[in-house]
Amino acid sequence: MSKEPREEMIAVGGTRVHTLIGGEGAPLVVLHGAGGNRGWRRWMARLADHFTIYAPTHPGFGASDAANWMEGIEDLARFYLWFVDTVGLERAHVLGHSIGGWTAAEMAVSAPRVIDRLVLVAPVGLKPERGEILDVFYHSPAELTRLTVHDPKSIPEWEDLYGQTPTPAQAEIAIRNREMAARLTWRPYMHNPRLSHFLPRASMPTLVIWGREDRIVPVVCGEQYCRLLPRATLRVLDGCGHLPPIERPDAFAALVADFLATPSTASRSQR
Amino acid sequence: MKLYYFSEMPHHEFADGAGDAYPSLRLAFPNAHFSPEKATANYRRYLDEYQLADEVGYHGLMVNEHHSTPSCVNVSANMTAGILGRITRRAKILILGNILPIQDNPVRMAEEIAMADLISGGRVLSGFVRGVGVESWWANVNPVHNRERFEECHDLILKCWTTPGPFRWEGRHYHFRHVNPWCLPLQKPHPPIWVPGTASPETAIWAGRLGYTYVPFLVPVDIARELFDYYRQGAAEVGRAVTDDNLGFLVCSVTADTQAAALEAGRHFVWRMGPTLRGPAEFFSPVGMQSSAGRRFALKKQPVPLASQSYEDLVKGDFVIAGTPDYVADRFAHLRQALGIGHLLLEAQESRMDHPTTMRSIELMGQKVSPAIEDQ
Repeated sequence: MSKEPREEMIAVGGTRVHTLIGGEGAPLVVLHGAGGNRGWRRWMARLADHFTIYAPTHPGFGASDAANWMEGIEDLARFYLWFVDTVGLERAHVLGHSIGGWTAAEMAVSAPRVIDRLVLVAPVGLKPERGEILDVFYHSPAELTRLTVHDPKSIPEWEDLYGQTPTPAQAEIAIRNREMAARLTWRPYMHNPRLSHFLPRASMPTLVIWGREDRIVPVVCGEQYCRLLPRATLRVLDGCGHLPPIERPDAFAALVADFLATPSTASRSQR
Repeated sequence: MKLYYFSEMPHHEFADGAGDAYPSLRLAFPNAHFSPEKATANYRRYLDEYQLADEVGYHGLMVNEHHSTPSCVNVSANMTAGILGRITRRAKILILGNILPIQDNPVRMAEEIAMADLISGGRVLSGFVRGVGVESWWANVNPVHNRERFEECHDLILKCWTTPGPFRWEGRHYHFRHVNPWCLPLQKPHPPIWVPGTASPETAIWAGRLGYTYVPFLVPVDIARELFDYYRQGAAEVGRAVTDDNLGFLVCSVTADTQAAALEAGRHFVWRMGPTLRGPAEFFSPVGMQSSAGRRFALKKQPVPLASQSYEDLVKGDFVIAGTPDYVADRFAHLRQALGIGHLLLEAQESRMDHPTTMRSIELMGQKVSPAIEDQ
């Protein structure tokens, strides 16, 4: 199977989500952060030799249908458990970044048997014991890009991702993404005060990845996740901000591949 | 045309430049610069000025509400309306307005406005606003829900005033199992409703459909005309005729015995147009606050921001009307002619404009300007 993904609009209930599907192997569902689905990236191509990657664009983001009825990340988590059913996966690995990581954690505590292995990448969702999660809506998109990454010059896909002036259509999508992120995370800001009580239920092997220079979500949140999840390990990448998959794509892909390569019970039925 | 007196009750009691190190005077400027002693004196002074405006014949007294900003420390429009209801005798009390989307309890809001209406003997004009973004931050209410909450809060307040209780309200944003307010307005079916606007076609259309008095704030005349067209579009949808009583406009204005004195006093409005509006776009229009239609309207019109206009530009554009009674009466007549409005709201005190200057301006407006334009 080609590493190049195909695109599908997958209807979950009445809501269609734009989804990239590529690679071959055990299913891996990838949930993006508040910045939106950045497409088929270098780290995904590396994993596609061994996994079938499903990378949906959240409802309300990008080319997916609106879901203005959603009130929070718990709704999005329930939506993606339904997505897993709809695609025909009995179990899957789930990898989520930032708000996608929070979503993955909420899925894991709601239906732990559905998730084989869990990868949380700089997830929000917990109130930091020290410091604060940056108020991303208080800053302009340009400031936020600067604060999100550690060193733009070290990012191999920087030009492709951020080098061009957005077209009007891309600018409108960026606004749409930001609005949906606000809809899902405004209050309590970027966390669920009840999540910590449920995390011990998520007993699947879990890898938590953080950038040491993350200025959006304090690394202490990674320590909190690892303390609360029964089988979690924290790996911190040096020279990296809030976007490990983009800032350190090769190291990130290697970490994830090693973790997921452990014998798995993940299976995929025919759609 | 009817005149309304309005003060934002500013708290410009700190050194110029004290706020320069912060992103904005709103939200970010530390309240260590707030002086309770000076505020005590100012509130009394501002209320005295409203009292004089009532005595000299202004048709109405307008109050508003903002939060987390020295530009306006009137933090409860309804509280001020209640006070004015007791200390004034004749003028309408225009609350413009209550910031509906940030309210968590519309029933309490309905009760407070009703109480002000009762205390004033039925003089309240009840304005409803969506607020600037700063208020959404202050209340930590999700701005993507701003319009939905505005409309639902409005609907529940109206139901409180017009439907005998008890009843149940289960909406999207508001949930009350026992609604039965024991405080209802004197005016029936309810106080007249007013709505301001600056750039939202949806608000103008909505107000037009419902027949509310619609008032653009501090926008160029051509933009006000276009917003009035949206208002008429809404009115036409329900077959309602639009009269000048449905339309108002807000400008800053001061008068004095000489043109030079008035122009000098008018400079105080620059603080309101510039420093107090400085700040990141995210403060004033956070994510989700503006619809795509609103964005398109703003992009199409692109008015020069008030903050970047010189005092001379503001005077030339009639954002600030400062002059002798004859001069301001002439400019007011021009606006009446240009816009077909029945109500002119005067933001008539700002920044460090002192008490004697403000009182003299109020006096001259009442004695000379108001009679000159009342039949126009």
